[in-house]
Amino acid sequence: MASEPATPNVVAETRRGTTLVVASALLPLLLLGGILYLFVRTGTGLNLAAPAPIEKIEFERVEFLPGEIRAHVINTGPDEVTIAQVQVGWLNRSAWDFTVEPGPTLPRLGRATVVLPYPWVPGEPYEIALITANTLIFTHDVEIAAETPRASAAMLGTLALLGVYVGVIPVFLGIGWLPFLRALPQRWYFFLLSLTVGLLVFLGVDALHEALENAARVPGPFQGVALILAGLSLSVLGLYAVSNWLKQRRKEATGGLVLAYTVALSIGLHNLGEGLAIGGAYALGEVAMGTLLVLGFTVHNLTEGVAVVAPVVRSQFRWTHLVWLGLLAGAPTIAGTLLGALAFNPLWAVLFLAIGAGAILQVVIEITRHQVRQAGAAALVGGFSLAGFALGLAVMYTTGLFVAV
Amino acid sequence: MSGRAIVATVVLTLALVAAGLALLGTANPVSAGRTVVLSEAVEAPAAHGHHLPPTKGSGLYQFEHPGRRQFDAGQVFNPVPPPPTPAPDGVREFTLVIEEDGVLEVAPGVKVPVWTFNGTVPGPILRATEGDRVRVTLVNKGRLPHTIHFHGIHPANMDGVFELVAPGGSYTYEFIAAPYGIMPYHCHSMPTSQHMHNGLYGMMIIDPKEGRKPMKELAMIMSAFDLDRDGEADFYAWNARAFQYADHPIELEQGEPVRMYVANVFEEVMAPHLHGNMFHLYPTGTTLQPTEYTDVKTLGIAERAILEFQYDFPGYYMFQCHVSEHMEQGLMGWLHVKERQHVAAQKRR
Repeated sequence: MASEPATPNVVAETRRGTTLVVASALLPLLLLGGILYLFVRTGTGLNLAAPAPIEKIEFERVEFLPGEIRAHVINTGPDEVTIAQVQVGWLNRSAWDFTVEPGPTLPRLGRATVVLPYPWVPGEPYEIALITANTLIFTHDVEIAAETPRASAAMLGTLALLGVYVGVIPVFLGIGWLPFLRALPQRWYFFLLSLTVGLLVFLGVDALHEALENAARVPGPFQGVALILAGLSLSVLGLYAVSNWLKQRRKEATGGLVLAYTVALSIGLHNLGEGLAIGGAYALGEVAMGTLLVLGFTVHNLTEGVAVVAPVVRSQFRWTHLVWLGLLAGAPTIAGTLLGALAFNPLWAVLFLAIGAGAILQVVIEITRHQVRQAGAAALVGGFSLAGFALGLAVMYTTGLFVAV
Repeated sequence: MSGRAIVATVVLTLALVAAGLALLGTANPVSAGRTVVLSEAVEAPAAHGHHLPPTKGSGLYQFEHPGRRQFDAGQVFNPVPPPPTPAPDGVREFTLVIEEDGVLEVAPGVKVPVWTFNGTVPGPILRATEGDRVRVTLVNKGRLPHTIHFHGIHPANMDGVFELVAPGGSYTYEFIAAPYGIMPYHCHSMPTSQHMHNGLYGMMIIDPKEGRKPMKELAMIMSAFDLDRDGEADFYAWNARAFQYADHPIELEQGEPVRMYVANVFEEVMAPHLHGNMFHLYPTGTTLQPTEYTDVKTLGIAERAILEFQYDFPGYYMFQCHVSEHMEQGLMGWLHVKERQHVAAQKRR
């Protein structure tokens, strides 16, 4: 149809059309506003009062300082709650003196700190019971009391060093195997990729498992499992976007280096989550930080270095890329341990672990596609592939024996 | 941007995010209840002295604790029983009204629903002289059937077990006050444990015909409240308000003889104990001579006793249940013995 000149009739019609669109967008919102206003003013007319008050207080963190216990709590109930009395239990509960900062009444999703001047003894179990004005009691058990480490240069240095031991060094050691891997016959490259897939699948499922565990500790309103969904899916899609963009920029024939960078990124994100867990466990006095643990993590993460270089065994590139790959995969561990020790929050742990799991998922898909392009789909279930995958799982499981608590 | 630059950007961004979250995160860190293993990598814990907070008074329920968690003076249950008086025509009449919509502040800030005799927990302290004709009219303004069961000697149909008083109904218990002593009274409607726990208890003091030596008197009922119905009491109390006589100490005078009527109406054994002193004990109050000279006495379920004592030195003395768990959850208070210029030398034994 030939384009018509904009006659006044057409213009008027277009304007009417636009007005209609805008009006139809605004009308439901205005009506909603009106309904909400009416509910607030005159009530809903529904008798939905609960027979007893519903309250919920969750403990986010309990700190032990010399002569003092500080309990950080959040009100996750539907209404405000007032903390009226506090009892501390050792064998039996004792009413105790306390103050609540900023105040004893918490609005919904409000936070407060209950400060108890209590002579706690290291190694003893304690129970903190909050009694609300409505006589509901919320308790938290501390299995073994230990002084909460305070941020100091020494502690931060220790944690950063831990991150280096556990994250950076193993990855670079694994990368150091590159010449050996290059010297292997062609068909071993396929085996290597399957091994990598096995390693990554193990890591991904482990990350998901930890994310689910942490999700259980996230206060209800913050919907831990929804965060897992968000982190996982956004990281899968996001990594696809990033790797496509990188492929366009580099215009590489094989895309092996790009794949290596995505593997390194995904492992880096996973290590961030892992560092978070380690740092958080240390801050809460939960970690048996003996040499065995550090050793176990080091060996466990050695394989990550192999996973990073496996895609580029057959590629040519400058050696400086290896440095960047190693840092990308290993350095986030340091950020993780520091963050975990200073400000651990299961919410962030869930997010980072889910993002890490999603990144790993994306990389696994990419490597598998790479293998199919190289040797066809039938080869995926051939002997070499299965052996590699199985070996990857076996190595991770075995090294995990030293690490898992 | 080259690949290197991308990598550098990503790593730096992550580091910045981590730093930013670390700054923000001090508000929202998190706990866990998982197992803990302390290892050689953690610094050795400081000496025990390092962990003691500065405290005053008992160190437990701070002597000068924050004002907002104190009982108002108006809420304190008057510990002084009515004095013995002659009964007109040898008849004493009482009316006890049971209501189920009471609210009791069992600890400052914690209000529990209670069932009451005449609006109070414990119920009013009744007093009679041995041989009086006692008439107690029960008016039931609740929604459940109730009774009053008196400890003491009386006919079976005045015992308050079989004759349930329906909501809106009333019943008059009539009996001759016997024997002299402390006779608790409480509702015996089923389930009795619930009716008693919810506050339907009190004390009747029956004086011997010849009377006891006149002196300052106190009446104390030991009971407890289980707020979350988990089978364990959360607050214990003298006269149903945890720590009330710590917030408002009982004033005594140095050298002043005191008689304390104590009854245990809870389902646990109690052990009333006076600090800095010994007392003469009259178990159940049914003797005219004390049978023991001690500072702690175990009162089993529904047991009671009269304690007579005097304080020779001024100061604050705790009176508590010596079951430490009970004391820590409210069964303690202070006797404030004020100095007297001339201390009368009293015969002690």
